[in-house]
Amino acid sequence: MIVLRRQLPLVITLIAGLTMAGQYYVPHPASEELLTSVTKWLQIIGGFALVLGVSSLFHQHAVKIRRREAGWGYSLVLYAGMVGTIVAGLWADGKESLDGVLTAFGWVYNYMMVPLQGTMFAILAFFIASAAYRSFRARSREAAVLLVAAVIVMMGRVPLGEYVLPVSGDISQWILNVLNASVRRAILIGVSLGAVALSLKIIFGVERSYLGGGKE
Amino acid sequence: MRIAERMLKIDRRIIFLIIGLCTLVPLLYPVGLPIKISPEVRAVYDYIESLPEGSVFLLSLDFDPSSKPELYPQAVALLHHAFRKNLRVVAMTLWVSGTGLADQIISQVARETGKEDTKDYVFLGWSPGGTAVIINMGQNLYTTFPSDYHGRPTKGLPVLEGVNSLRDVDYAVSLGAGNPGVEAWYVFGKDKYKFEMGGGCTGVMAPGLYPLLRSGQINGLIGGLRGAAEYESLIGRKGQAIAGMDAQSATHMAIIVLVMLCNLFYFVLRRQQQAS
Repeated sequence: MIVLRRQLPLVITLIAGLTMAGQYYVPHPASEELLTSVTKWLQIIGGFALVLGVSSLFHQHAVKIRRREAGWGYSLVLYAGMVGTIVAGLWADGKESLDGVLTAFGWVYNYMMVPLQGTMFAILAFFIASAAYRSFRARSREAAVLLVAAVIVMMGRVPLGEYVLPVSGDISQWILNVLNASVRRAILIGVSLGAVALSLKIIFGVERSYLGGGKE
Repeated sequence: MRIAERMLKIDRRIIFLIIGLCTLVPLLYPVGLPIKISPEVRAVYDYIESLPEGSVFLLSLDFDPSSKPELYPQAVALLHHAFRKNLRVVAMTLWVSGTGLADQIISQVARETGKEDTKDYVFLGWSPGGTAVIINMGQNLYTTFPSDYHGRPTKGLPVLEGVNSLRDVDYAVSLGAGNPGVEAWYVFGKDKYKFEMGGGCTGVMAPGLYPLLRSGQINGLIGGLRGAAEYESLIGRKGQAIAGMDAQSATHMAIIVLVMLCNLFYFVLRRQQQAS
């Protein structure tokens, strides 16, 4: 059924893409109503994507545990964590506290997820410092410019740096506002043009990789 | 092995120890160096300050616990300012993993300032769809969030009186730790539904948002812990950010010294190798 697998999705994409691109420029109430409905669909699809993501994660780690692949113990921890949290969440009706009292779900969130994620993020400071010491070297002229800019911005972003070198705050602002903003803007324009080109290719059926593989 | 070579291959645990001490000592013995206010943080403060009582202030807490150290103080400072100004606060999140944290923040600040849920503020919670949620809110807030985080129907809540969509929001601030965040709120929200907005983000994200700031797409930006400390100074309420600035100062300076030392040893070693 090549029509159902190939032509139909392409036609749907073409119609939906052109309609929604045109919709942005039409302020008529019917057009606005269409946008409301379509974004509601998107939200519903988003909800399904969440279910799909969780079930895919379960499946992937179940295979790992069954085959006793390297690191399968971690998959077991993941399973225990996910199942435990889902059960606690369903038990508490998704509420973290009831009448000011923490539920089991709230306990998992407050005393496991919050500190674990915080710790992961905090560890970054140590690794960044170690990596900077090992690799942030002025090996070339470009690297030297980057190094000087980084040192000035790092000084200018903290009170002690501004105290030691008062001009670092203003130079750091200038680097961020002028040099950084202009380069970043150029990148953004490039990325946006690329996104527009890719969207047009998808709408007009030139780019078809999103349809997936499979036999024709 | 030469000294320079040995220093370049220093055990990383020594670096970890230095960073650990630089974080811990200033937290135990704070110095309290003065904090200079940047124009981008002042712009957010000034805009909120200029809003009349009862204006609608939307705060989207688009982060999860991993960004709590930087964005939590920003959220607390902004909420204190908004409540002090008697604004109607509509809080929400686009990050499902941040829902509990966002609820805790708003409930805690509301309790401290004596504000009443559903009358002075509402926490809408999270809704699936990412950026689609923003567009949907721009069309109709009540179809996006038929009920608030606590399950109460949003239609008829006193705090949302006269608010039908994002077009009725006077000022919005997204505190974003990634995508969806500040950029998404501008692209899918402000650009179409024409409300003024500011942003808050982690320190590492701030340079990436400067183009939006310079072009006026966002009117202000609170960047990282430093931005939060500046905001705390502006509202005259010392919080976690000001307390953490000394630690951040010491850590930044330690990294600068380490980078300088590494370059010094690198050049000494290179000269020695060239000579031999």
